[in-house]
Amino acid sequence: MQDTLNALVAKAQIELAALKARPDFESAKARLVGPNGELTALMKQMGAVPKEQRPAMGKLINETKGRLQEMLDAALRSIEAGELQAQLGPSVDATLPSPDIGPGTYHPLTLVREEMCRILRKVGFVVADGPEVETEYYCFDALNTPADHPARDAQDTFYFPETVRFGNVSKKTPDEKYLLRTHTSSVQIRTMLKGPPPIRIVSPGRTYRRDTTDATHSANFHQLECLYVDRNVTVRDLKALLDYIFASLLGKETKTRFRPHYFSYTEPSFEVDLSAKHLPKVKKEWIEIGGCGMVDPAVFAGVGYDPEVWTGYAFGMGLERLAMLLYGIDDIRYFYQNDLRFLKQFG
Amino acid sequence: MKISLNWIKDYVQLDAGVDEISRAITFLGFEVEQVIRTGAPVLRDVVVGEVLVRDKHPNADKLSVCQVDVGPAGGLKTIVCGAQNYKVGDRVPVALPGAILPGNFEIKQSKIRGQSSDGMMCSAKELGVAEDASGLLLLEGRPALGTPINEVLPPGDVVFDIEITPNRPDCLSHLGIARELAAWFKLPLVYPQEKFRGSTDGVPHPELLRNVSVLSPEDCPLYTAHIIKGVKIGPSPAWLQQRLSAVGLRPINNVVDVGNYVMLETGQPMHAFDARKLSGNQIIVRRATDGEKIITLDGKERILTGRMLVIADAEKPVVIAGIMGGQNSGVVDDTTDLVLECAIFKRQAIRWTSRRLGLTSDSCYRYERGVDPHSALEAAYRAIDLIVETAGGRVVAPVFQVGGDVPWKREIVVTHAFICARLGFVIPADDVRAALESLELNIARDEIDEAGGPVWTVTIPSWRDDLDRPIDLVEEVLRLYGTEKIPPAVVLSPGLIGDDDPLVLFNRRVTDYLVGHDFHECVNYTLRGEKEIATWVSQAAAVELGLANPFVDDQSHLRPTLVMGLLGTLKLNQSRGVAVSRLFETGRVFIERNGQNFECAAVSFVMAEPLGERSWLKREPADFYLAKKFVSALAAGAGIDLARQPLVPISGPYYGWQEGQSAAAGEMAQGWTTRFGLLSLPMARAMGVDGKVYAGIFAILPEKLSAENSRRRYADFSLLPAALRDLALVVDASVPSDEVRKTLAKLTRAAIGNAFALEKIEAFDVYQGKGLPEGKKSLAFSLVFRSSERTLTDDEVNAAFQKIQDEVGQTTAWQIRK
Repeated sequence: MQDTLNALVAKAQIELAALKARPDFESAKARLVGPNGELTALMKQMGAVPKEQRPAMGKLINETKGRLQEMLDAALRSIEAGELQAQLGPSVDATLPSPDIGPGTYHPLTLVREEMCRILRKVGFVVADGPEVETEYYCFDALNTPADHPARDAQDTFYFPETVRFGNVSKKTPDEKYLLRTHTSSVQIRTMLKGPPPIRIVSPGRTYRRDTTDATHSANFHQLECLYVDRNVTVRDLKALLDYIFASLLGKETKTRFRPHYFSYTEPSFEVDLSAKHLPKVKKEWIEIGGCGMVDPAVFAGVGYDPEVWTGYAFGMGLERLAMLLYGIDDIRYFYQNDLRFLKQFG
Repeated sequence: MKISLNWIKDYVQLDAGVDEISRAITFLGFEVEQVIRTGAPVLRDVVVGEVLVRDKHPNADKLSVCQVDVGPAGGLKTIVCGAQNYKVGDRVPVALPGAILPGNFEIKQSKIRGQSSDGMMCSAKELGVAEDASGLLLLEGRPALGTPINEVLPPGDVVFDIEITPNRPDCLSHLGIARELAAWFKLPLVYPQEKFRGSTDGVPHPELLRNVSVLSPEDCPLYTAHIIKGVKIGPSPAWLQQRLSAVGLRPINNVVDVGNYVMLETGQPMHAFDARKLSGNQIIVRRATDGEKIITLDGKERILTGRMLVIADAEKPVVIAGIMGGQNSGVVDDTTDLVLECAIFKRQAIRWTSRRLGLTSDSCYRYERGVDPHSALEAAYRAIDLIVETAGGRVVAPVFQVGGDVPWKREIVVTHAFICARLGFVIPADDVRAALESLELNIARDEIDEAGGPVWTVTIPSWRDDLDRPIDLVEEVLRLYGTEKIPPAVVLSPGLIGDDDPLVLFNRRVTDYLVGHDFHECVNYTLRGEKEIATWVSQAAAVELGLANPFVDDQSHLRPTLVMGLLGTLKLNQSRGVAVSRLFETGRVFIERNGQNFECAAVSFVMAEPLGERSWLKREPADFYLAKKFVSALAAGAGIDLARQPLVPISGPYYGWQEGQSAAAGEMAQGWTTRFGLLSLPMARAMGVDGKVYAGIFAILPEKLSAENSRRRYADFSLLPAALRDLALVVDASVPSDEVRKTLAKLTRAAIGNAFALEKIEAFDVYQGKGLPEGKKSLAFSLVFRSSERTLTDDEVNAAFQKIQDEVGQTTAWQIRK
């Protein structure tokens, strides 16, 4: 009996090692340990074994059964490994390029805009939006622009014929003309007219001026403006914001300075300079980056805010100019040509 | 505006350096665009000398050894010189040892080729006077020996080219800038001395000027005319010529120069007539008649229209008011009697005329910005003083004055507390007082308010019409205090409820999605050409999108779609040999509906074949259904489930799209629209773009993007297994699959009733061809059934599936494909 069992194990060892596929394995398994298999047949012979030998023989059979099971498990593992191996092709050449295009890229103007918005969101600004087609009221009148200001001139601003209607751009008075906004300040007016202060918004967007396109001018460009309206907002707060923005954007060593200036919608008004020695392609110590000031009381009065109660500041800058400074780009037209060799440089 | 430092020093004794003055101007609020130095710098130890002897240098062919007499400055000097343009007897500049020439070049006693030299004879360039380096500067007129050279050469000057902001017309003058600088440097401002104070003999001279009438007082609130008799026209004195030349004006004659000088000094434009030429001895300020002509001083004929203001005599216009005089009435060499006009014209009137004629001038520029009516007579008196001084003559007859009778008075009450509150820091009250007073913003009353702080009543001078409210004085105080001294602070940021605009969130969402799918973001111009527009919208819509005043032809219309810009980008990259495939843009488009434009937020993409780009491994090219996937994602970004929207093929006037290969959903009546698929092949070819281009557009009214992002609610789902069945139907090839799917879904739901649920039904195979009749196709659907309560048995599902098939057989024309 013992010899028979040993022979069975030896035979199984040879057979199982040669198995390659699952059906072969299943039939081998049935042949060895299945209900009609060889081990079962041996176990059926137990009855013929003398009583006193039965415990030893039983132990032997169980051991054999255990060994066969181990061998079967090993064989199955080997077959499974073989199967997985078969799913693989030859080894890859990791150095071949991927045939897929990519990655996609954000336009540099988007990158700069989003970076500015992120910086401003940290100090509580939310991003506001408004129409690019505007009316004289929102673009000029509400911003305290004098009636004969050159900016209103058809020489500098794009107007629409009086017959043209815009279904979703509201007019303040029926006979104002539609135009393309010359600054994003109109968003400030629409935001203020929508609800009471406090307000803290940043409004990036596309603006238009009737200008010759060259390396530094574009009829179509982008601005970003901030507006904060609350009680007791001061010039010092405004300076603090500008210091914060540019230190965040360009590093802590960056300094800003205010030069008094004139804008009809702020009083006092300033131009903002940036210490620029560490920027690419800039040779000057200070460069102008934007304009700002305390919201003129006349603007508040126009939108129904009590200028005795509310104070505020506004800041605006050109996004192209900022992107040109940050990346060292020297021609504004590149932003609008979208040469992929340009776009892919920024990510 | 060009400002001469020498001129400024007539009114304020500045001894600050040029850089410091430039900085002061900057921080007073005027941008210094350029600093120009002219004339000789201050040169010490450079004097007039005369060459007495000129001998050849013994050791050098090109050098001479000269004996030069510098008179009281040191007698006879031996000087080695290399120049050739002089002779014995010439007087030249001599730099003596110790002199420092421009470029920090110090003159020392030296030996040149063995010959000692006690100084240097100088060229114009070496003195920094001019660029001429060809030889010694030969001095004309034999100036006295030993005279310091600065007394001989024209004085050096520094000219600041300054940008004056539109709120400060008072600073379009040397006096205005001097006032600012005096305030900054805390120095007194000295006004020019006046002699003539308006007193004349009072005897009328109707033969020179009989009458002044202003027919258009709304355009001309003040007109004054003085008669000056017996002038002698000639060149201006050197000082006057130098002043004008320094700031870029060409000297003409004494009277014209004085007019310009006083304008640059005070900001008040002037005009002088030859009294002989005023026909009828009359001045009439009136509007022109249509078609009236005048030849202006620049020699050009100008045709006038009825809104333009002119100064006329009895017959003809003699001046385009405030802008430019006519050739017919100006001062000429033999003029003896003058009529001096000093007037105020309305800004709007001057501006309108100037724009219409395309004609501007220094005078026009000032009138457009606003000239102080209350200083006009002062300026006239100043001009009279200078005319009498430089051209002789005397004022006769009483002044003719029309208008100008509204007196000026303005006061602003401001507290110290208000100023500090607006600034956010404290400027001591005494500093505030001093700042205001230094700008002649005099404190009429200095009182104490209820809180115990100073309250000031400030009188505003007539030239500061820009100051009207307490906040305006805050700016004045801060300017003089110095904006560089605003103390640093941290940003205080109370939390406010609210989020980014829904449109901003939408743009960010779709941009992230498309960049994540390998698209490159582009930015194209909003304004496009009419021809390009015609590819995309009807003639009628194109009219509505046009600007009234386009600047260039190819930027005359608003874009109705972003695709046209993206096609341009494809073309540009293809033509430059740059492989290009996936591009997108977000931005505004303008969609016409029923004669109205709607400004929409839009996002569009294109997918072109990356021509010229070969790869070792082929990938599937883009197709309609890839475009559909991306467009669906964009619509989802706006909360629109495209699967629930009816899709229609684009046909008819299918602007830009390829019929049979493109589809649309939504329309402006719903507030949004989408189109996607293959772009018209002929159109793309006409545009110069190679290969097939698939594209998608999604546009939505910004107001349709809801701020209230409705929060999703959780729905329970079954953990029990699903039962699957497939059903293939033979239908007309022209029937859209979704129509079949919807009908089948309806039939199915009716068949299974409430017993369990049809969880999903979707086409998974489409076949047309062999084995099917002509004009038919097979659509195979997979149906997923599930119950939330029990595991479905084969029997019940089979029964239901049979019922479904029976229903299909009985109620539809479809064949079940076994």
